[in-house]
Amino acid sequence: MAIAEHKLTSVSPATASSGSFPWRTWLATVDHKKIGIIYIVSAFVFFMLGGIEAMLMRVQLGAPNNTFLSADVYNQLFTMHATTMIFLMVMPMNVGIGNYVVPLMIGARDMAFPRLNAMSIWLFLGGGLLLYMSFLTGGAPNGGWFAYAPLTQVQYSPTSGMDYWILGLGLTGIASIAGALNFIVTVLNMRAPGMSINRMPLFVWMNLVVSFIIIFAFPTFTVGSIELLFDRQFGGAFFNPAQGGDAMLWQHLFWFFGHPEVYILILPVMGMISEILPVFSRKPIFGYSFVAFSGVGIGFLGFIVWAHHMFGVGMGPMANAFFAAASMVIAIPTGVKIFNWIATMWAGDVRLTTAMLYAIGFISMFIIGGISGITLASPPIDLQQTDSYYVVAHLHYVLFGGSILGLFAGAYYWFPKMTGRMLNERIGKIQFWIMLISFNVTFFPMHIVGTEGMPRRIYTYEAGMGWDLWNFIETVGTFFLAFSILIFIYNVLSSLRNGEVASNDPWDAATLEWTMPSPPPSYNFLHIPIVNSRRPLWDAKYPHAAGDDHHGASSAPSQVRYEYTDEETAGAKDIHMPSLTFSPMILSGGLTIAALGFVYINKDILGLPTRVAALGFILIGIVMVAIAIRGWIVDSRKDSPYLGQHH
Amino acid sequence: MRKEARKSTVPLVVLLLSCAAMLSGCTNLPATTLFTYGDHATRILDLLMPVFWMAVGVFVVVQGALVYTVIRFRSKQANAPVPAQIHGNTNIEIMWTIAPAIILLVIAVMTFRTQAANSYQPPEAMKIRAIGHQWWFEFQYDDGTIVTANDLYIPVGQSVQIQLEAADVMHNFWIPKLAGKTYMIPGKTNYLAFKATEAGIFRGFCAEFCGESHGNMHFRVIALDAADFAKWKTNFATTPAAANGTAQVLGLTGDAARGAAIFADAKKQCSSCHIISGTVAKGKIGPNLTYFGNRRTIAAGMLPYSTDNMAKWLQDPTSIKPGNLMGRVIKKGTLKDQEIADLVAYLDGMKFAVNMPAEK
Repeated sequence: MAIAEHKLTSVSPATASSGSFPWRTWLATVDHKKIGIIYIVSAFVFFMLGGIEAMLMRVQLGAPNNTFLSADVYNQLFTMHATTMIFLMVMPMNVGIGNYVVPLMIGARDMAFPRLNAMSIWLFLGGGLLLYMSFLTGGAPNGGWFAYAPLTQVQYSPTSGMDYWILGLGLTGIASIAGALNFIVTVLNMRAPGMSINRMPLFVWMNLVVSFIIIFAFPTFTVGSIELLFDRQFGGAFFNPAQGGDAMLWQHLFWFFGHPEVYILILPVMGMISEILPVFSRKPIFGYSFVAFSGVGIGFLGFIVWAHHMFGVGMGPMANAFFAAASMVIAIPTGVKIFNWIATMWAGDVRLTTAMLYAIGFISMFIIGGISGITLASPPIDLQQTDSYYVVAHLHYVLFGGSILGLFAGAYYWFPKMTGRMLNERIGKIQFWIMLISFNVTFFPMHIVGTEGMPRRIYTYEAGMGWDLWNFIETVGTFFLAFSILIFIYNVLSSLRNGEVASNDPWDAATLEWTMPSPPPSYNFLHIPIVNSRRPLWDAKYPHAAGDDHHGASSAPSQVRYEYTDEETAGAKDIHMPSLTFSPMILSGGLTIAALGFVYINKDILGLPTRVAALGFILIGIVMVAIAIRGWIVDSRKDSPYLGQHH
Repeated sequence: MRKEARKSTVPLVVLLLSCAAMLSGCTNLPATTLFTYGDHATRILDLLMPVFWMAVGVFVVVQGALVYTVIRFRSKQANAPVPAQIHGNTNIEIMWTIAPAIILLVIAVMTFRTQAANSYQPPEAMKIRAIGHQWWFEFQYDDGTIVTANDLYIPVGQSVQIQLEAADVMHNFWIPKLAGKTYMIPGKTNYLAFKATEAGIFRGFCAEFCGESHGNMHFRVIALDAADFAKWKTNFATTPAAANGTAQVLGLTGDAARGAAIFADAKKQCSSCHIISGTVAKGKIGPNLTYFGNRRTIAAGMLPYSTDNMAKWLQDPTSIKPGNLMGRVIKKGTLKDQEIADLVAYLDGMKFAVNMPAEK
């Protein structure tokens, strides 16, 4: 590969104080890179759990009339599988990679609110752990990830599972909203000099769009689920028709969040693809503004298509027609992205690295998922396909074939930056092909069984419906899919120890994160770069091939450096970074403990002792939050150049 | 070389899968949406087919462009010169924004036409009320004078309008070969009109997750020729004759008269949940069991109708349908085998002749 060789500069790691307790630098960290890695690792653990749930379900469905799982356990598993993959895997994985990469891409030293960032990660973990605690305390949530009323009312779902679901997701929801605000402020305020909005990398663009979506979509979900909690715990009647409530209200509230959520899951990944394809085609992205603005368009349109999840509920033909039309319109910006990605590779020097294979796999599978989505946008066809396995196929082509293949592209692409080691390319390619093929073996037949009338969310089915063989094939596919994940884990573990050492810029890339050592020092940039184009690093490396790519008043070359003298590096100790603090973690822990109390606050299990214990948890939680807020203020004053001791 | 071999496996797998898909698409499976016998489902299929072929066209063009681009512009040499830095073309962008828009417009127009036809409620349609319960279907004719469960009898060639309701949680009413899904929602009434075009027995499902035994909530639609349907309705409206006869089940001889007495016995609680017209059984919680001997299945489509399967259900309902209400009363051993045999004789004896069409 014709990668320009650059001197690998060794920069001493963060000068942030590290105590005697080695974990302290992680648990009390406010460094966006460490927080990003905690997000990524925990999301991957949840990916394993969600995958195990999926495999158990597939074993049950591998043969008709199977009794491997009971109906109730199966229902818990599909509820937790979806909840895990959506809220505890793809979302935090996106956030983790975004956390790590976005500040580096825009030339910032950290996120705008580093302590809030730390709060988000611990709150997300608290919410995830709370959700999984439900398995040990009498039953996981069993009402589906969509939690339709009135099935989730306490008389139809008497275990505490749904309470864990509401409160666990409530915590991750706070984490998401805080994280989204943090991203917005960071992207809008902390870009390096010269990086105007229309010079931002597309991954940053998509994170910005998604952050706005989160801010508008999550509150609806939070309000809805708190109302559901009131129904379950305090006899509220928001969604219970028997008491004058409205079951449809829940569906509208849920999908008004639930559909934008789909774009929360896919848009950051589309951003990753928009970074990876140009680098490995050695060209700029084709139609930068069209790719960016189609993302913005999808973000807006995503809010007016929610009721296409509800074509069968009797909204009437006019309402259905509106939501059908809006859903079809959203295919246009999505198509624009796909065409631009293909055009980016056109006439390029396409290098099929593992990251590139995954990116191409993403486009290929997303085309299938997008096309199957068109039939679902047509209400009459939808009435045959909705709630059947056809939808299961469609959503996995979009979320697995789309989001997860794209996340693997991102993983192979940024792993060297994050760890300083290259992932093994040969193993990576083998893993890619096993995963791509077994993904299709697992999910393609679901289109067929769905068309052949197999409803979704059934724990078993009778023989002789014509579904047996396909279900068996799907189950076999799952095992190969799991095998490909194991290969990836092996690749990560062995590469961390023995992988090729990564240079600053192993892929001959274009954006600022590749100007830094791999991994970057805690303060990121010794000197904040001055940006004069969309591809500052590329233009510095190939001044003659830069092309007409400046998009701004100044056409002077960008000032990016990644070679520093020892003297300069020694000056890094003067860079002021926020200090370690446990306050965000204590605050998140307090909220998690209080949430656990709220699960049981009005439960009759074991009578009074339960309620007293629940109240105790809530009080402990409140005290922890109070302590954390005080600590937070003290720490902020310590770090503030205006309020505390000056450095 | 090896890389190319690997690459060729993908289209091969896709080809094999699509061949298999085509084959199974051509088979008239019990619940397929591709062989329709009702106007509602047929209109959907007539919309699906052109949309499907358009989708195939789009797939071939876009996927083809992707694969072609990757193969053609794959890096041939390690030190290839930097390619031309093309970064956009507004005309091309406008073109590929408009092209999908045109395809979608065509699909939208076709969609709205089908939707208008399928949401039309013919005023002359025969009205049937369908109520979803956890986990069975109740059907009422003629303002509730005829009530049955899990077997929906309809006339061929006449539109029926199903008035859909739910007694507890949401359910979703689906007969793949006759009509698309419509939700049954507590506190809301939905309407679905369709017409069976051929006599037959068709599969129906609850398609919305509705709790523990959602997977065990099926029904059958029995579409009879107009004359047969009229006969069925007249027969069903009459009160069943006094229990009489025997049945051989569990190696015992069940006696219908004894069974009727057990059913009516308040201590056994059958009558507090079930109705059998002309008897003291007036419970409204469970399905109406009048003329149970005519049922096609047991426990909402779980088991084919047979005296053995009835006995199986009466021995332990929970083993067949986890979470069902009857299982709270009848557990393993609650009913003695002789009592079960008697009840089976009673219920099985309560029937009249119907000119049953074939399963379609």
